Amino acid sequence: MRVCGVSVKDTTTLLLDEEPLITGNQTFSSITEKISGIVEGETNKIWFILLGLTSSLALMFFGSMGFLFWEGVGIWGVNNPVGWGWSIVNFVFWVGIGHAGTLISAILFIFRQKWRTSINRFAEAMTLFAVVCALIFPGIHVGRIWIAYYMFPLPNQMAMWPNFRSPLLWDVFAVGTYFAVSLMFWYTGLIPDLATLRDRAKTRFRKMILAIFALGWRGGNKQWKNYEFAYLLLAALSTPLVLSVHSVVSADFASAVIPGWHTTIFPPYFVAGAIFSGFAMVMTLAIIARKVYKLEHIITVNHLEKMTKIIMLTGMMVGYAYAIEFFVAWYSGNVFESFTFVNRAFGPYAWAYWIMVSCNVIIPQLFWFKKIRTSVPIMFVISILVNIGMWFERFVITVSSLANDFLPSSWDYYSPTVWDISLLIGSFGLFFSLFLLFIRFLPMISIAEVKGVLPQADPHYYEITKNRSRDE
Amino acid sequence: MKISTDNGVKYWRSLDQLAETPEFKKILDNEFPENPPGIAGGALSRRKFLALMGASIAFAGLAGCQRPVEKIVPYVKAPENITPGNSLFYASAMPFGLSAYGIVVESRVGRPTKIEGNINHRLTKGKSGALIQASILNLYDPDRSGALRNKAQEASWSEFVSFYQELQKTFIESQGRGLAILSSSFASPTLFRLYEEFTAAFPEAQWAVYEPVSDENIYDGIKAISGQNIYPVYDYSKADIVVSLDSDFLYAESDEISAVRGFAEARSLKTENDTMNRLYVVENMYSTTGAMSDHRLRLPSSHVAPFALEIAKELRNQGLEIPIPNVRLDGFDRDAHQKWIQAIAKDLKKHKGKSLIVAGKRQPPYLHALAAVMNHGLGNTNNSVRYVSLKDALPPSLSSLNRLVESIDNGKIQTLIIMDGNPVYNALVDMDFAAKLAKVKNTVHFSSHVDETSRQTTWHIPAAHYLESWGDVRSNDGVRSVVQPLIEPLFNGVMRAQLLNLIVTGKDENAHDIVRKTWKSIFPELDFEKKWRKTLNSGVCEENLYESEEVGFNSENLGNLSKSLNIENLSKDALEITFAADASVFDGRYANNGWLQETPDPISKLAWDNPALISLNTAKELGLKNEDMVSLTCRGRSLELPVWIMPGQADNTIAVSLGYGRTSAGRVGNNVGFNAYLLRQTSAKDFAHGAAVKATGKRYKLANTQNHGSMEGRALVREAPLTEYQSHPHFAAEMVEHPPLESLWKEHPYDEGNQWGMTIDLNACTGCNACMIACQSENNIPIVGKEQVSKGREMSWIRLDRYFSGDLQNPEMVYQPVTCVHCEMAPCEQVCPVAATVHDEEGLNVMVYNRCIGTRYCANNCPYKVRRFNFFNFTKDYPHVFQMAQNPDVSVRSRGVMEKCTFCTQRINQAKVKAKKEGRELADSEILTACQQSCPADAIRFGNMLDKNSNVSKSKMNNRNYAMLGELNLKPRITYLAKIRNPNPDLADTKSQI
Repeated sequence: MRVCGVSVKDTTTLLLDEEPLITGNQTFSSITEKISGIVEGETNKIWFILLGLTSSLALMFFGSMGFLFWEGVGIWGVNNPVGWGWSIVNFVFWVGIGHAGTLISAILFIFRQKWRTSINRFAEAMTLFAVVCALIFPGIHVGRIWIAYYMFPLPNQMAMWPNFRSPLLWDVFAVGTYFAVSLMFWYTGLIPDLATLRDRAKTRFRKMILAIFALGWRGGNKQWKNYEFAYLLLAALSTPLVLSVHSVVSADFASAVIPGWHTTIFPPYFVAGAIFSGFAMVMTLAIIARKVYKLEHIITVNHLEKMTKIIMLTGMMVGYAYAIEFFVAWYSGNVFESFTFVNRAFGPYAWAYWIMVSCNVIIPQLFWFKKIRTSVPIMFVISILVNIGMWFERFVITVSSLANDFLPSSWDYYSPTVWDISLLIGSFGLFFSLFLLFIRFLPMISIAEVKGVLPQADPHYYEITKNRSRDE
Repeated sequence: MKISTDNGVKYWRSLDQLAETPEFKKILDNEFPENPPGIAGGALSRRKFLALMGASIAFAGLAGCQRPVEKIVPYVKAPENITPGNSLFYASAMPFGLSAYGIVVESRVGRPTKIEGNINHRLTKGKSGALIQASILNLYDPDRSGALRNKAQEASWSEFVSFYQELQKTFIESQGRGLAILSSSFASPTLFRLYEEFTAAFPEAQWAVYEPVSDENIYDGIKAISGQNIYPVYDYSKADIVVSLDSDFLYAESDEISAVRGFAEARSLKTENDTMNRLYVVENMYSTTGAMSDHRLRLPSSHVAPFALEIAKELRNQGLEIPIPNVRLDGFDRDAHQKWIQAIAKDLKKHKGKSLIVAGKRQPPYLHALAAVMNHGLGNTNNSVRYVSLKDALPPSLSSLNRLVESIDNGKIQTLIIMDGNPVYNALVDMDFAAKLAKVKNTVHFSSHVDETSRQTTWHIPAAHYLESWGDVRSNDGVRSVVQPLIEPLFNGVMRAQLLNLIVTGKDENAHDIVRKTWKSIFPELDFEKKWRKTLNSGVCEENLYESEEVGFNSENLGNLSKSLNIENLSKDALEITFAADASVFDGRYANNGWLQETPDPISKLAWDNPALISLNTAKELGLKNEDMVSLTCRGRSLELPVWIMPGQADNTIAVSLGYGRTSAGRVGNNVGFNAYLLRQTSAKDFAHGAAVKATGKRYKLANTQNHGSMEGRALVREAPLTEYQSHPHFAAEMVEHPPLESLWKEHPYDEGNQWGMTIDLNACTGCNACMIACQSENNIPIVGKEQVSKGREMSWIRLDRYFSGDLQNPEMVYQPVTCVHCEMAPCEQVCPVAATVHDEEGLNVMVYNRCIGTRYCANNCPYKVRRFNFFNFTKDYPHVFQMAQNPDVSVRSRGVMEKCTFCTQRINQAKVKAKKEGRELADSEILTACQQSCPADAIRFGNMLDKNSNVSKSKMNNRNYAMLGELNLKPRITYLAKIRNPNPDLADTKSQI
């Protein structure tokens, strides 16, 4: 085929020949209107109610933290064998949630998965907010919060470095790096959309603010060229981070000697679990957002179905890891190891173990059915169950291994206190508050990128459509 | 775009051609660059790439808090003879019942901080026990009474003196009619002198002696057959066979320290060729002695005496001369225990003269008499047992209290002076002592606290602690010591001798002079000063030791004694109840001692409570679970308390411990546990049948320091019978199979200087808790309270793990002291993000408190779970006086800091400094850790592992040596010596019987 002197290879599928990712005959301007409208229009009443609720919970979060700093970590249920309780469980849980965003933005970007464009922006925002929640927990869980800065390699009069052999220190760097890169990535992606909003701004003040953050974007070819290179660079940088962060987090456990922690399967197992839970969280948020803001044409069932497939895949990976752990415990012949795993499934924490297995391994299997993959209410419920399951996975790993380790004399049972619960619920409050503020003030879907996957984005769209209508 | 005109009129043919020109290319490149500026040329250096990615966002700083400011108190007037930082040591003695423990007290800048045993004292020989160690905290008890009280109003000592002097005039006239004294028992030359003066001055007065928990049955039994006031003193090191008849001689009986020492000596094994003693225990409730036994038979308390009688008969049948009257004790099923009786009798006969039969203080006088006769017949008298006169001592006598109560009822008593004791709380409940007290016009109570009794008396006089007093004592085995004060009375306490002297003479004299007056009759006048000073210095009077008495037994009286025995059939509806002194608070006098309250019971591992103990079968029959509240009824009286299932308890019996449920003990002891004295009555004093329990349906939370009693098949405590040890001497080290322990890197060699190490001999350890309190006292370990203990947050650096093995109904029990093992490859050190726990060059795993931020990662990664975290600021609310009990050489840890055993690093450094100053090498055993120093069994050895001649090196050469969890390749510096039991082959098949 030759169009206007430019040869188009027949192997390349034209954008407009694909199943459209965005439905409802959207045009460039309808996309801009739709998404900018959410930010610029009247504030939704439901939004106010939701923010009121979530910010109350966030207030409870900070209040609980204040009491924690005042009294000490004794207000939690942690005890002598179980030194890490819900705070670390929450940390790992939130870091896990924070995986999907960057995965969607970076890895799917590199693999040219165009469907990512409808969800990547808020997935990235979700990542940031999840990592904010995640970073709070290891910070507040230390006994002496006022000297937590000892963990950073700051020059000091004692000439003391932190201990580079400690996985907790690796966490500091890994999660810190991840947060920094995710923030840059997210912000970089926002620039063209911020410029769009700037150009549409009606008040001078709004224009000024947006102008500052849009960094003088004018959409020139040169800018796009630089921009896309920067985006690719950040994507390339984020890709290993997606894998490294949770691998490093898993090293907190894997590098310890405690049976149930001391296992080499943890890095891939944790990464799979993180993607699993992260996608589930994106799905939960996407389903609510598309409903509330009527974005069904932009975030289509097709998008959601693709996500269910990833959830099913990673769910099976997690299930495989569970099975292999049992196998290795038995095959190693190590009494401590075997006991730990039998104890997980049939000991005092069996209830948590079976919640984990049901939610993570059994329930996602429902996605084999197309009907369920395309049923929004069912996938909404499953996405929540997956996150409950993944929270319990971290609980089972952290608590059950510590509660029953080498010396039976030290075994004890861990039960959370009201403060453990208030901090977990409060962290959800903070997370959703940040998220609600984000969808109110920033375009929750990447306007520029979604336009890029519209059929109109094909450079030859007009010729081809014209030719086709002539052929007919 | 500008197109250059250099091409003149040369027409371009196509746009393509024009696009080839460099100008156009340049313009094009500028607008549509292939690469962003700065990376032109395509080659992206690593440095450039990283620089581009280098931007990062600063973390928000976390809110900082101020560390609490410590208050310091400077000297106003410095005490004499003090070099700040150096301790002074004074010998003294701790009176306890009819005995006394010789001690050495460490004094820091004028205040006593730590108690050790006195090496010169033949009872303690430098060792101590939990109660001795903890008694220092009683000195600093903020709830001690600080003033005299008259009718609940504060009064002064001089007021009391003039009040009494007035009163005394009338008594002198009436020869003491209407005057009565109720004292606790004592063994003290001075107090006894004053007692004799009292009875001489006031022949009409009454003197009653009451102890809720005492050896009265022993005195009575021995007196009945010997006619003498004598007391048996045992030497366990000379006994190859020990039969304990309900006697917890390693913990709860008098003189337990020398008993543990002697027993451990007779049990010690250097090689597999050594011999060891054998211990049979017949008892109702599991005891630490039962845990050490080679054979343990659980029998209800009332069945112990007939069991002993059957052994005596068996011995007589085997031809030994044991003159026992032919008594039949009905109700005991001999045939069920035939095998045991024969085996024990055979073993005793085989070891004639080298055996020992001991009976417990709860057992009736009959059994003590019988045991004495049996020991005599076995030729043990003057070998493993000798009898010492009860000189200078006032033994307890329940009948004297009964007489007193009767006199009060008859209105014969106008003035009652109660010296020590707390009868309103702990007298037998059917005496209704509080009501009796109300009938007396003048009542005076001398005690350290305004307790239950003080609240009922017209006068209360605060008693000085023994560390604040002048006095003297005599130990059970006949050693006299002077008690010297270490500090001025903190709470205006009055010394015992001072008060008694006032009562007798009407004169208010100095206790120091009173005591010296007594001792002037002991030492010849010529060298009195010299000998007095020598006694004060060494802590013991080396002259006129009371040695053994010649005894002869008239066993005819056994028949009379047996009449009081009552053997009934027991069932779940008619249980036998046993009253025992509590392992922590004794008879209740230590109820306000937080260290003791928090030390778990050696058997049940419960702290801060006293549930009723029942056996597994009985619990099943009664449908009870742990922590169920029951209503326990005994002869018309009842008490609600929780139950705890104790494997090894005899079926159809229930055991309660005394000393809890205090209402006026102080802030620590008030309303802790349940007052079992409310069930204790004349007809049910030590044990009685006819008790019944009924579940109330309520539950009660108990604080347990060890929830799991099974080792789960792990080789933690390694144990073997003697025969296996002999055939397979290295069994302990070979018990766990593991791959070769290799390292991925070159490890630190630790081959210079001192390399500290420790061994703990599980064959010697009796689980007596002495090390736990010694450590708590030495290392300022906080008390956390019942709620925190039940959450699993007790702070003990050393703990005693207790495991059961074998049969569920009658398991064997083992103890294992566990503290930081100072791994050379410590997993805690690797995971600490701030390097707050590191290794020093002497192999110590050190905690840097100032650096610790409290991630608790180290505790998680510790396979031995010995690290303890300050979940709260446990020391914040310490009363000022309590702070004085702290060791100034050890930091008091604040909230959020991890802590653990340091191998008493302060002691190591003190010794090192001393050796350096003296220009010499450290000697072996110059450094004793606190746990090691207190251990009466000498189970703990500590020292330099590089010195091949050190005690610890020799101990590590023992073939029983093994490293717990050694397969983890952590190279622990503490290793254990495996436990060996010496079962009788004749009883091989009874291991799991009954």
